[in-house]
Amino acid sequence: MPKFTLNGQEVEAKPGQTIIQAAADHGMEIPHYCYHPDLPIDGNCRMCLVEVEKMPKLTPACTTLVNDGMVVRSENERVKEAVRGVLEFLLINHPVDCPVCDQAGECRLQDYYMVYGLHTSEIPLGMKVRKRKVIDLGPMVVLDQERCVLCSRCIRFFEYVTETGEMQFFGRGDHVAIGTFEDRPLDNPYSGNVVDICPVGALTSRDFRFKCRVWFLHATDSVCGGCSTGCTVRIDHRDGTIFRLLPRRNVEVNRSWLCDEGRLSFHKLSDGERITRPLVKGRDGVQAPVTWEEAARSIDSRLKEIRDTNGAASILGFASPSATNEALFLFKRYLDGLGATQFDFRLDSEDKKLADEEDQILRHFDKHPNSMGAIKLGLMSEQVGGIEGAINAARAGRLKAGVVIYFKPLVERPGDAEAEGRVLALLDELEYSVLLTSHKADWQDSASVVLPVAAWSEEEGTYTNFEGRVQLAGKAIEVEGNALPVWEVFAMLLHASGAESPWMSAEDVFATMADSVSVFSGITLDQTRLPGVVVG
Amino acid sequence: MTRILLANIDKPEQASIVKYRERGGYKALEKALAMDQAAVIEEVKASGLRGRGGAGFPTGMKWSFVPRNTGKPTYLLCNADESEPGTFKDRILMERDPHMMIEGMAIASYALNCHLAYIYIRGEYEFVANMVQKALDEAYEAKMLGPSVMGKDFALDIFVHLGQGAYICGEETSLIESLEGDRGYPRIKPPFPATHGFLASPTVVNNVETLCALPWIIQNGAAAYAAIGTEKSKGTKLFSVSGHVSKPGVYEVDLGYPLVDFINNEAGGVPNGRKLKAVIPGGSSVPVMTAAECPGVLLDYESLLKAGSMLGSGGMIVLDETTSMPETLSVIADFYAHESCGQCTPCREGTGWAAKILKNIVAGKGKRSDVDLLLKIADMMEGKTICPLADADVMPIRSFVTKFRSEFEALCGDN
Amino acid sequence: MIEFSEEGKRRYQTILSHYPDKRAALLPVLTLAQREFGWISQEVAEYIGKLMSYPPSDVLSVATFYTMLHKKPAGKHHIDICKNVSCWLMGVYPCIDEIKRQLGVEKREVTADGKFSWDVTECLGSCGTAPAMQVGDRYYENLTPARVAEIIEKLRND
Repeated sequence: MPKFTLNGQEVEAKPGQTIIQAAADHGMEIPHYCYHPDLPIDGNCRMCLVEVEKMPKLTPACTTLVNDGMVVRSENERVKEAVRGVLEFLLINHPVDCPVCDQAGECRLQDYYMVYGLHTSEIPLGMKVRKRKVIDLGPMVVLDQERCVLCSRCIRFFEYVTETGEMQFFGRGDHVAIGTFEDRPLDNPYSGNVVDICPVGALTSRDFRFKCRVWFLHATDSVCGGCSTGCTVRIDHRDGTIFRLLPRRNVEVNRSWLCDEGRLSFHKLSDGERITRPLVKGRDGVQAPVTWEEAARSIDSRLKEIRDTNGAASILGFASPSATNEALFLFKRYLDGLGATQFDFRLDSEDKKLADEEDQILRHFDKHPNSMGAIKLGLMSEQVGGIEGAINAARAGRLKAGVVIYFKPLVERPGDAEAEGRVLALLDELEYSVLLTSHKADWQDSASVVLPVAAWSEEEGTYTNFEGRVQLAGKAIEVEGNALPVWEVFAMLLHASGAESPWMSAEDVFATMADSVSVFSGITLDQTRLPGVVVG
Repeated sequence: MTRILLANIDKPEQASIVKYRERGGYKALEKALAMDQAAVIEEVKASGLRGRGGAGFPTGMKWSFVPRNTGKPTYLLCNADESEPGTFKDRILMERDPHMMIEGMAIASYALNCHLAYIYIRGEYEFVANMVQKALDEAYEAKMLGPSVMGKDFALDIFVHLGQGAYICGEETSLIESLEGDRGYPRIKPPFPATHGFLASPTVVNNVETLCALPWIIQNGAAAYAAIGTEKSKGTKLFSVSGHVSKPGVYEVDLGYPLVDFINNEAGGVPNGRKLKAVIPGGSSVPVMTAAECPGVLLDYESLLKAGSMLGSGGMIVLDETTSMPETLSVIADFYAHESCGQCTPCREGTGWAAKILKNIVAGKGKRSDVDLLLKIADMMEGKTICPLADADVMPIRSFVTKFRSEFEALCGDN
Repeated sequence: MIEFSEEGKRRYQTILSHYPDKRAALLPVLTLAQREFGWISQEVAEYIGKLMSYPPSDVLSVATFYTMLHKKPAGKHHIDICKNVSCWLMGVYPCIDEIKRQLGVEKREVTADGKFSWDVTECLGSCGTAPAMQVGDRYYENLTPARVAEIIEKLRND
């Protein structure tokens, strides 16, 4: 481990680290535009120049490897002067159109100007190099060439991460501009990432543009609900509305990236009406609103009645792989209490897809964030054989009652309508069915009871991704109407059934789960924060 | 005065291999092939030969950085991208005595254990490249190149690679990028080309003039070469002289030759009875010298450095008393702005900005504060870039503005 | 859909054979393409990209770095006249004016008959024989306005 002196403090670096990386590990950000921890180093912006003893010239911290005994200064007057100079250079041809720029508030030009610059521009407007503005680069990205600092992060992203090379530099000298061939749209499932990594307002999100100034947004740490990869994300929201989803850097999962489908997946939540009150079908066969207490009492007594008449094996627990671990844990605990033995969650007969990668970068075919959690919690059984098996068993009269949790996938796939059709078929075949779901749909009329529950982003909880990594997702949005988080519904049912139900929060449920389920045993909620913890 | 590089330049049909050999050509290669490879490197080291492209790095030392037995091939790249304004020496060598360069390349390739070499010629010199290609064809025919050079167990292929208009490609890492088929963006060093050059393999980039000196050095010995010139600047050097002189052209002088004598004798002095105003001694990127600074200065690396300028590529531009220094600097600054590759910030933005300010000043639209702003921009650029192009703009800006400040101020409206 | 002539295809194969790595052939292939098609249009960039399996953006990015590769149509005779220090000192501007007068078009424009286009360029390496200009692969040096007129007249009848 090389040791070096950084601004007078002796610190350690990992072998092979550059100054900027070692400094970051010690909580010190050296200003930069082109350096990005998940892209190859380029060294073009010259913002990270530092002074290294025995080197005559200032050297870029991003390209210079730490050597044992090196003495580095990143904050003295010589360095500040150089950084100021680079910043001034970057601003001479910049349009300074911050009032109409969506990047304002999270722009590295603005940020560093406040720290280093605060100079008066010495270039008259008429002398600036003009470039093209508002170039539409497809569904995700809008390009403004004038605001670009030519750091090449976007170019390197498409060159090294997706290996598709859509974006390039064109021209030379101060007329260099970034772009695509003939302004072709970025036909790439990861194109939204270049908006995140653009340090300025050159690449802005077509989806988020002009929706909200970033300083009005609140951020909640979460996990993407779009597929079983479980990318670590941040939900930016305001007044109960999600404005955007951004990746949070997690080297163990998604590095700094997020796929476009995942990025836009939150829009699915505002697609369609919400169910706001529990509905129970009366003798007339019409669902009518009831209180939660009424619903819980009626469900518990009806299920027990069926069990007592037909045996516990006639009760099906059909989970959703989109529900949290905590939800699934209490779901199972309640049904276990009834003596139920029939569990599954598979909406698709091709269960091999659960682990299949859709590409080599992030995406998995399984568009549910918690299939692995469902498996680990014992919710997959060969006996049931997925939803097809359940439908057949119900049709044959072996299954009489079912508690079904269903969430529409946040990332659409061609087979979604068929899968939903199978849920309907299951409800139709069951004598008594309890459906927990978030959004309204016609087919829900078939259920004996419909319980409105919180959707992704509306409750705290953990998800287990394809490799068994458990990650915590925070609650960003207040749930609509009288809907409850799924775990709370089952806590209520457990209470109604006379069992102990001491949980006040998802955190409490997690603790019980870690105590009582062997695969989760011993893990703490803290471990489920970045980068998450892999369970056996 | 010793004539090494231009010894046969004016002789009839020197470009043909027949005449070249009649006049002693390819004997040095024969001699080198009989030597140990290491001995050839030692000989070049001992000669004191320094790179003639502009940087003046000792050639033998550059060669000795090339690792052996890396499992990768070693490449020799001849830098014939001659583009520094005021420089036209390599062109004459390739046009009139191309076999000297080819022989030099063969000697260098043998010493470096290189079997594939390229001559990177600037695209504008296409007609020169055609002449070089003709000479290469002759050399293959005569078995000076090919699978068995001069019948020895040494194979060498040389190809011509034409640039397409980019001054920066004369910088060796940019040349390599360009040769690899990319935009000619200079690379961050380390790693150096000696270990990670063309196709990430050990690579040596040598200027045409440097390679042309090799046959003589091998033939006559390092000591003979080192006997010419000064203590630290050995051998002869070509100077291309242009601008306000009676006899512009390419001249070979022993390093250490007096600058004033060169202008007055070789270059024929300033014509039309005018007085000398200033000299740019080594290509447009080196600091300008006033007439008063010239006496006593010798044409060698150290003396010019001491005088505040540089030998550079030996592209000397002479300016007479009628020359407007702001206009001259504006022309120079335009060039560096046009040729900045645009990769790194200070150069991309600084060269363009400086050029615009100068254009304004020359057009009479400048402010007095612009003169200081030019110096500030020079400070902001200097030493902060990936390659030396920004510094090549800084040196003329700073020297012109400080040495001829009143001329700049006189053009500014608010004086 | 454009493609190289038969001769061009042969030349392309020869170029590839000069390099241990295909990518190294890109600049010479672009040079060949300019010879074949006159300039590097987007169509040409796309053709070269397909031919060599590189994204067209990549090919165009390289082409736009090199000033000798035309990114818009050029005349049959394209004149590049040097405006750098030595040529400027030796009076290139009257020669540039003469080109403008003779051709009646601004720089980077093509004459109506498609025969000529012109541009100013940086140092050609003809400083000792300044002013100088280049037409195709030929240099014309020690220019005067009269000589410029003569040269253009000759090229006009070419």
